[in-house]
Amino acid sequence: MTEQRLDGHLNEEYILQVEDLWVSYQAERGTVKAVCGVSFNLRAGETLAFIGESGCGKTTLGLTFIRLLPATARVERGRIWYSRGTEAVDVLAMHEQELRHFRWRECAMIFQGAQNAFNPVLRIWDQVLDTARAHGETDKKKIRQRMEELFQLVQLEPRRVLRAYPHQLSGGMRQRVLIALGLLLNPSLVILDEPTTALDILTQRSVIDVLRGLKERLQFSLILISHDLSLAAELADRVATMYAGKIVELASVWDIYYRPHHPYTVGLIRAVPTLSGDRGRLISIPGSPPDLINPPTGCPFHPRCPYTTERCQEEEPPLQAVSPTHHVACWHWEKVIAEGGERMLTKAEA
Amino acid sequence: MSTVTLAREGLTRLSPGAWLRRLARNYVLRRFLVALAKIYVVVTLTFFIVRLMPTNPIEAYINELIDQYGFTYQEARDQAAALFGLDLDTPLWQQYLQYMGQLIRGDLGTSYRSKGTPVSAMIAKFLPWTLFSVGVSLLISFTLGILLGMVMAYRRESLLDHVLSALASILTAIPNYLVGMMILVFLGVQWKVFPITQMRGAMSPGMKPGFTWEFIKDIFYHATLPIMTYVLTTVGSWMLAMKSSTISTLGEDYVMVAKARGLPERRIVTAYVGRNASLPLFTQLAISIGFVVGGSALIEFIFVYQGIGQLLLNSINYRDYPVMQGVFLVITVAVILANFLADFVYSWLDPRIRIQ
Repeated sequence: MTEQRLDGHLNEEYILQVEDLWVSYQAERGTVKAVCGVSFNLRAGETLAFIGESGCGKTTLGLTFIRLLPATARVERGRIWYSRGTEAVDVLAMHEQELRHFRWRECAMIFQGAQNAFNPVLRIWDQVLDTARAHGETDKKKIRQRMEELFQLVQLEPRRVLRAYPHQLSGGMRQRVLIALGLLLNPSLVILDEPTTALDILTQRSVIDVLRGLKERLQFSLILISHDLSLAAELADRVATMYAGKIVELASVWDIYYRPHHPYTVGLIRAVPTLSGDRGRLISIPGSPPDLINPPTGCPFHPRCPYTTERCQEEEPPLQAVSPTHHVACWHWEKVIAEGGERMLTKAEA
Repeated sequence: MSTVTLAREGLTRLSPGAWLRRLARNYVLRRFLVALAKIYVVVTLTFFIVRLMPTNPIEAYINELIDQYGFTYQEARDQAAALFGLDLDTPLWQQYLQYMGQLIRGDLGTSYRSKGTPVSAMIAKFLPWTLFSVGVSLLISFTLGILLGMVMAYRRESLLDHVLSALASILTAIPNYLVGMMILVFLGVQWKVFPITQMRGAMSPGMKPGFTWEFIKDIFYHATLPIMTYVLTTVGSWMLAMKSSTISTLGEDYVMVAKARGLPERRIVTAYVGRNASLPLFTQLAISIGFVVGGSALIEFIFVYQGIGQLLLNSINYRDYPVMQGVFLVITVAVILANFLADFVYSWLDPRIRIQ
């Protein structure tokens, strides 16, 4: 049975509370520590974006929430509390049947690269029906009506799309079909993993607009996983920067973009060109992503960081609150703020 | 699959001229013409190759007459010509034209050996038994192979998988006539599991063909050993093909998404994994129909089963040209028809491939 806890620190206003989550993969070379002690809370209706380079553990994190990790992965520790009204259940303790109902009905994950998300030999309508039936919905008329509404919201022509086979739809259309299908059962939590990668710039634009529209009309909490900072900026309420399987900064979207405290966040933001072009030169973060089998001692970012001191190499900075809404894991965040992250720029040029 | 093109989205209305052009490009028509051409080439090759075989029946007969009865060459030659109903002075190319002319009219000629019996009648008598035994075997083998292949893929790296994989490789490697002989020797003669003398032939003597339970039971009884042999020697390759196909399908995004959608495992296994993984096997299935018909000769000989393979073997022994040609024609048509069918079945099963 799933444990249920209503007491103590579990708070009802949160739809998801993640406590000290550790996930690792067994590889030939050793254990890959993909997620290392991630904790955060997600408020009902809130959008939280996870950003970071590829290989920082974002996607692993997303897959852990719906327990779809590959066989080589293991959740070492942690709790994922999902709250259903007045009670909270630990997703990691769910058994098979309970999990099947949790998936999509309560938590829908929309994957990156929806190109191959659909069974090529079944029409979209059959796959919609499959999904609905799996969760006990059998009224075809009702399903059809709901799906037509959703397709209208994602700007698809319902009749044509329902009749089509996946290969008859373009990449952007398939992505929108998957988003609509994700909302079919009115989930309270949606996980979007790189929803716009693999799409051209115009299609990306329309998918972003669709997502914003949906967020305004429908009530659901959203976890957005992306390396695309502009996407995060447009959709998120809060942003978490991930590095080497850890959250290194967690703050409101405004703070992250205008007052980044962590040198890595500074680097990420400066690595993306802005439309107005007045935020200064583009940089790339020197060095390469950390080895997750033998992560660096102390702060995992220290080998690439221009603010490194001896302390960074020895002691790992905890994720601490520097204001009620801003958390950062850096010994030198004050210096970073004071300089506006200037050293990231100079190091990149050196 | 080169002539199969990917479906186009949204067909637009066509003008009459475009319709004509489409007719010229008509897939079915084109495939049909290609099939006819293939049959023509094979028939021609067969005609000449058969006649290149050492010793022909007429020469053998002529020599026999000269040696045993002291005929002169000319006498013997006339006698042979009369017996076989042939004008021996006709050059080969004329014989060829004659043969093709008959073929177009649907006449396969008459047997040299059983004089006067039309080849088409002989084929009609023997072919159904081969189609029956081979057809049933393929069905059993294919279904079994798909099921076991999926089990192996789902349980990969388990003991069951290792045992089945090894078994499948071994079975695939042994030629079917060897398996047939082992069944005959061990199960039939040594341990007497099967009463092989009773099981000879395609059915028991005096059995009345018809849709009766008795008859159906009887023909299955007589086909048991050939079917066993075919299944044993073909199931391995289906298992291995299905295993590798299933493993790669299991890694597809849509299987992962289906799990995320909370679909029941049963539905994922059948409609999402099974259906997609078995697609490439259907092409192989159609192709193997032709080869199994051709490869049935030795098995039917071993078990004394009156099928087309038996007929072919006999006709080769007696250098019965018309029968040989007839049987080769049947095998050719079977292979070509099977390929033709494979494309249609494939496009019906896989909507990504559409016929234009």
